[in-house]
Amino acid sequence: MIWLTWRQHRKQAFYTLLGLAALAALLVPIGLAMRHTFSDLGLTDCASQLARADVAQATRETCDAGYRRFGNQYGNLSLVAVLLITLPVLVGLFWGAPLVAREVEQGTHRFVWTQGVGRTRWALVKFGLVIGSVLILATVYGLGMSWWVDPLTKAAHEGRFGMIVFDLQGIVPIGYTLFAVALGVFAGTVWKRMLPAMGITLAGFIGVRAAVELLARRHYQPARTQTFPIEGEGPPEVSRGDWILAQGVRNPDGTMIAEGGRIQCPPGGKGPDGRVCGAELGLEPGAYNWQLYQPADRFWLFQGIETGIFVALAVLLLYLAVRRIHRIA
Amino acid sequence: MDMVLEADRLGKRYGSTWALRDCSLHLPAGRIAALVGPNGAGKSTLLHLAVGLLKPDAGTVRVFGRSPYGDTEGLADIGFVAQDTPLYRDFTAAELVIAGGKLNKRWNAALARTRLAQLGIPPDKPVGKLSGGQRAQVALALALAKQPRLLLLDEPVASLDPLARREFLQSLMGSVAESGTTVLLSSHLLADLERVCDYLIVLNASQVQLTGAVDDLVAGHRQLVGPRHDGGAVGGVAAVIRASHTDRQSTLLVRTDGPVTDPDWTVREVSLEDVVLAYLADGTTQTSHSEWGVAA
Repeated sequence: MIWLTWRQHRKQAFYTLLGLAALAALLVPIGLAMRHTFSDLGLTDCASQLARADVAQATRETCDAGYRRFGNQYGNLSLVAVLLITLPVLVGLFWGAPLVAREVEQGTHRFVWTQGVGRTRWALVKFGLVIGSVLILATVYGLGMSWWVDPLTKAAHEGRFGMIVFDLQGIVPIGYTLFAVALGVFAGTVWKRMLPAMGITLAGFIGVRAAVELLARRHYQPARTQTFPIEGEGPPEVSRGDWILAQGVRNPDGTMIAEGGRIQCPPGGKGPDGRVCGAELGLEPGAYNWQLYQPADRFWLFQGIETGIFVALAVLLLYLAVRRIHRIA
Repeated sequence: MDMVLEADRLGKRYGSTWALRDCSLHLPAGRIAALVGPNGAGKSTLLHLAVGLLKPDAGTVRVFGRSPYGDTEGLADIGFVAQDTPLYRDFTAAELVIAGGKLNKRWNAALARTRLAQLGIPPDKPVGKLSGGQRAQVALALALAKQPRLLLLDEPVASLDPLARREFLQSLMGSVAESGTTVLLSSHLLADLERVCDYLIVLNASQVQLTGAVDDLVAGHRQLVGPRHDGGAVGGVAAVIRASHTDRQSTLLVRTDGPVTDPDWTVREVSLEDVVLAYLADGTTQTSHSEWGVAA
């Protein structure tokens, strides 16, 4: 069985590795250049310096300026990152969907399932080997991406919780890739033709990923709230790396006055007509800024939860696929 | 007598349509059996049930006394060549022989190699690039290398030209003659199999119409020609299978249970093909006038 699986998929494996090598050849120089610029701009220590409460105003300004310059130079790479998050679904399309669908489409399932190994063993060995290889690929991909995207995330305000970069690094790529492959395998046992199976895999993957990303992820843990006065010295460095879910300005009684906004006035500052800061908006004395957020240090917890969800879905789909295989003739 | 394959009221349904229904038959050991019926009669379904690819929806099927569905151990005794002889097209014949060795406990690779060498099959060419006849031979060699006690072949010659058909069947007969393997091969054309089989199963419209040894079937049927027949009993006739009439004359194909001595009737011997065609014509065709929107 192992020999057969290798013989059937060796060409595919070769091209996959070739593709990954080409991608690495393209991305590694960019990554190195990014890191070089990052340290040249003196940004290496900024994160730890800014995290301290007693950070000097000068340091803060230098760092902010550096981040801005870095963002100007490399911000466009976020678009490349968008392209890179499609890699897991490609693995699902080209490794998962054909696994059963191609056998049935070409009729070879009737050859291989009537040899001395039963189809349960066929399915377990084949799924096991493909999933194992995919696991290695996904781990390499996840680690590589964590390294590559690190300077970009540090320079971005929302840090590693940013919508694209969260999906790109850490362990979630493993969950996504396993899910994509399992979805492809399952779709292949239901539709039994490669093209429909691939189409369903693509649609299903995008649907589930979008649903989890947009609806579920923010609720993995109860969000924290933070309030701070609208009068203060300079812009407060309150939330670098935090994932801000909602923010606004509230009156002392809690009513939301300016949803999505934030106000910062110098102490004792006056509005245009000499009124109190923000009075033209309807702010009463004692109004405060409010935000709902997931703190930056929950990154790995959220990565773990999200990976767990997708791995669980993958296991369920593979179980259903093995069951369905017994009904294909 | 040892029964290799036994089906009892076997049925398989796809959705609401029965592909095979109330199928009861026995296949004795050592026979070369032809499974004949028009396209869609349920031949492939019966073979898939016998090799355990399908699970019966009704009744039972037993191969060597075991229920084949989900029985991995039983698979070792069954060689199966599916319709259109599916093989991994990018594998070479030599690689397929290796693959078979990895997939089976009992595997005679030397037998397969010798066969393929005798037939002049190139070992290092992808089987997708071989001719249909050569590919069928590779599939047969792989099935024989399992050294099965029962060999099931689903329309093995349907896609072959007449010459390749003959060669395929000849090489099949040559190899099973020595081993005593029971063979069940299906075709929608009796003519393909008539020369090689000694047992016959006729399927039509998802039901078994006729089953038995070829010699018995031929000996047990007669064609009667005589004056126009009104449907009355004729001595020695067990059943009228098919009747055709002209104004003054009737031609009957009958199953006999004794000699027909009535002098009104001219008795003729029949060929196997006459018998099979008579039974197939008996199968009722479901009309679909309303679906087509035409008058009946």
